[in-house]
Amino acid sequence: MPLTKHTVYPGRGLGMWAFWLHRLTGLAIAVYLLMHILVISTVVGGAGNFNEAMKFLKAPIFILLEMGLLAIILIHGFNGARIVLFDLGYGVKKQKPIFIALMALAIIPFVIAFAVALPHIFV
Amino acid sequence: MSQTVTLRIYRRDPDLDAAPKYQNYQIELTPGLTVLMALYHVLENVDKTLAFRASCRSAVCGSCGMHINGKNMLACETQLAPLGNEVLIEPLPHLPVLKDLAVDMTRFWDKYEKVRPYLIALKAPPPSGKERLQSVEDRKKIDEFIDCILCACCHTSCSTAWWDKEYLGPAALAKMYRFVADSRDEGGAERLQIAAREDGVFRCHTIFNCTEECPKKIPITFGIQEIKKRVLWGKLAGRM
Repeated sequence: MPLTKHTVYPGRGLGMWAFWLHRLTGLAIAVYLLMHILVISTVVGGAGNFNEAMKFLKAPIFILLEMGLLAIILIHGFNGARIVLFDLGYGVKKQKPIFIALMALAIIPFVIAFAVALPHIFV
Repeated sequence: MSQTVTLRIYRRDPDLDAAPKYQNYQIELTPGLTVLMALYHVLENVDKTLAFRASCRSAVCGSCGMHINGKNMLACETQLAPLGNEVLIEPLPHLPVLKDLAVDMTRFWDKYEKVRPYLIALKAPPPSGKERLQSVEDRKKIDEFIDCILCACCHTSCSTAWWDKEYLGPAALAKMYRFVADSRDEGGAERLQIAAREDGVFRCHTIFNCTEECPKKIPITFGIQEIKKRVLWGKLAGRM
């Protein structure tokens, strides 16, 4: 017997958004890890090789990309804390305010890091 | 002046149609018209081949769960007017379609059966021969969860239940919590063993779709997480 056309439930609740956000940021972090390993592996070609790579990555565009990475990690980390909280059975009935509060909290370290990085982005 | 609404209804007879089609029906909007009343109007006056499930018309039997404008809800308690000029009516998603809006609930009931959805009482009944009593406070603990009408709106909105065919799903687990939290039930340990299995509570990713879509506003995810908590601490304390 056939199923309906849906491939995923079109949920529009905050929990569904949080779920997608967690999956997508998780994938992004995994992709970054691969790139990170690639960069680090330049050390195999000797110190000069590695220093060259590091110099290349000091370009403002990479600092900007790192800010994006930081945002992704903060979202994933703070939302991860929320999931752990729920899995331990706490705050489940207040999931929406908890999600909003944690995301708001995640903005603080991001703003601080951005302020520090700003002079390196607009050199 | 009368206003008309277009019902865009999912039609499929698996024996005849290779693919579903959507059929439009114009219906005149009258005060208080529900989606179910509109479907009955189509069935009785326009198209006698339309198939859907319904019974009580008052949100008690749980037969008329449908996917209306992209959301699982009960057709009988949903007013047509606020849904717009074109209303999309589809069967509950991710259950096999028997015909049109009627789905095969076998998988849903199989899972329901697995949680032993009845009171397990080991002690003899009270000497009075009457019901097993419980305090007002204890009764309050299961207040929300006894409201379940088994409409499958939660189960068919659960992303994990879509991806993992073995996962017990929110409806069965909500029923399990209804008994786990019941002071009269003595099957707790056995129930938690079922919940601790690979296809049990730990498949819940706290997406909250079940809680969002429940027509009875049961905090289903809360129930699942409560069972999870009991299993977790039970395992850590070596009780399980």
